[in-house]
Amino acid sequence: MSLLHLAWTYFRRRALLTLSALGIALGVALVFTTLAVVNGFLSELERTLREFSGDVVVRPLEIGPLAAGRAEYMRALEAVDGLESATPRLNWFGLVGRRGARALSDPRSADLNGLLLVGVEPERERAAALHAELLAQPGSLILGDELAQRLGVAAGDALEVLSYRGSGRDLAPVRATFQVAGSFRTGQYEQDLDRAIVRREDLERFLGGRVPFTEIVLRGARDIAPEQLAARARMALAEAGIRGADVRTWRAQGGNLLAAVENQRGTLSVVFFAIVAVAAFQLLATLTLTVTEKRHDIGVLGALGAGPARVAGFFMVLCLVIGAAGTALGLALGLWLCRNLHVVELWIGGGERIFTPELYQFPEIPIAVDPGSVSVLVGATLAAALLFSCIPAWLAARLPIVRALHHA
Amino acid sequence: MSEPLILEARDLHKSYRMGAGRLPVLRGVSLQLRPGEVVALMGASGSGKSTLLHLLGLLDRPDQGRVLLDGADVTELGQSAAARLRAGAIGFVFQQFHLLADLNALQNVLMPRRIACGWSWWRRAGRERERARAILEAVGLAGRLRHRPAQLSGGEQQRVAIARALVSAPALLLADEPTGNLDSATGADILALLLRLARQRQAALLLATHDAHVAAHSDRVLQLVDGTIVGAAPGP
Ligand SMILES: Nc1ncnc2c1ncn2[C@@H]1O[C@H](COP(=O)(O)OP(=O)(O)O)[C@@H](O)[C@H]1O
Ligand SMILES: [Mg+2]
Repeated sequence: MSLLHLAWTYFRRRALLTLSALGIALGVALVFTTLAVVNGFLSELERTLREFSGDVVVRPLEIGPLAAGRAEYMRALEAVDGLESATPRLNWFGLVGRRGARALSDPRSADLNGLLLVGVEPERERAAALHAELLAQPGSLILGDELAQRLGVAAGDALEVLSYRGSGRDLAPVRATFQVAGSFRTGQYEQDLDRAIVRREDLERFLGGRVPFTEIVLRGARDIAPEQLAARARMALAEAGIRGADVRTWRAQGGNLLAAVENQRGTLSVVFFAIVAVAAFQLLATLTLTVTEKRHDIGVLGALGAGPARVAGFFMVLCLVIGAAGTALGLALGLWLCRNLHVVELWIGGGERIFTPELYQFPEIPIAVDPGSVSVLVGATLAAALLFSCIPAWLAARLPIVRALHHA
Repeated sequence: MSEPLILEARDLHKSYRMGAGRLPVLRGVSLQLRPGEVVALMGASGSGKSTLLHLLGLLDRPDQGRVLLDGADVTELGQSAAARLRAGAIGFVFQQFHLLADLNALQNVLMPRRIACGWSWWRRAGRERERARAILEAVGLAGRLRHRPAQLSGGEQQRVAIARALVSAPALLLADEPTGNLDSATGADILALLLRLARQRQAALLLATHDAHVAAHSDRVLQLVDGTIVGAAPGP
């Protein structure tokens, strides 16, 4: 390490070594930016999923006169430490028809659309995107904007909804007309396509008053993990003697979609390691060349008392210097790329946007730098550089001093 | 002769492989060097002076024979142990200067210290730098600390090399035709400087040369002829 100065001097004075660092920088910047975008997508997905589902959802498995009621659930849950809000909801399936179609009187119609009626208590809802404030009037309904578009309805229209209530033999169709008060957009395509929000009490009445709620959405304070909140909720329910409730985090709720993105991230990391390996491999070539070029210097170091281990160590330090400089430059370049992605996007696309907001439901390419994956990236790059430096280091260490000295 | 020896060679043999056969260069060289002694090693070009100095300085291994440093047999030392000895006990001055082209004069002189100190370099850097500056001043290069070898004349480069050889205060200096690449006036200056500093610091100096003029300034002269030492003229 005391030869760090010499390594740094080599690095500064040899264009070849600087170019090698640039190669690493390019690889690191590429991986960094891609990681930031993938993470951005993931956290945007998380945000939209949580916007609707909260942190934890509690679902009573049995509903009916014998089961615990809304008040008991609320009493038990509101005592949970770190809870910010608990909002009961009543979810029920419904059918709607396209505007102008005689859908509900003709069930064979292809114009029928299934949807999830979400009955909320507007004064308790925290999800700003849901625009629960539009539900002030009894009988009002807001639609996911994709659904509104598909149905061709807008604020002010009346919308007839068909559903079923009761169970078994008592199953009976019900029909009601809601007043469309507006639309909402969570950014989550499925949610925006199959959901309509109504007042919980309207829906309860619509269903004959027998089902007051189907789930309670919990939101925790900022510093509490959803898993922790779920565990506390389970405990609180158990203490209150309420059995048979399904308590799930938002992560478990949106499991499939998240797993798909996580899986893609896993596949990407294989590609990332390949990029890092290629970047480090060109360092191997450069360093091997440097050993040949610096034979005289190696001889001098040997004459001055550097043993084989010292000489090998020097080349590994040189490698670390190049690797570290390349990584630092790569991170800086990556950060710049992330900041200016819209410019780069237009530039690559020849003036056209590559990213289509309609397809991804986000207006901009989402970017999120995750310190964990950046540390892995930095660590992997330096480790690969160090690994590939072993061969040139060994080549340098076994040079006979006298022969190396004559190589002026 | 009970006085301790700083360097002793016993019956050194060395040959180089040439095609199918071997070219014998040293065929039984023995010599002794006392602490602080200045000895000239004379011999025609190609007589094997450099080969001998490489063996004595542990840069190469003899085919046969022994090398003793400060009374200890170092012939069979491993590469790392030999390197440690070179770093602490031996200073080299070469005909071709052998400076590191990328480093300035001060950094060249500091290089043996960086190698010798290892990790403790970072604690000692300040003191070491002072010491190197003082030695560069002693060789007359106080104003050339930041010059790289390419920006120095031959004489100045050899002054840097002398400073570098002295910076670890070795008990043994091996100089291989230090004036061989210099014009005669500069060579005389360098020779005078080397002798003065060696005597001042009480380092034993073995000086390979074919310059008969050197003999006058040394304690003894050894003649290398046909691979052996002949006529070891005793000094005054
Ligand atoms: N690595 C080598 N391979 C083959 N022959 C060598 C090698 N080094 C030196 N020689 C030969 O050994 C002889 C002595 O060389 P050297 O020790 O350099 O002599 P001097 O320093 O006295 O001029 C010369 O004939 C030279 O050609
Ligand atoms: Mg020679």
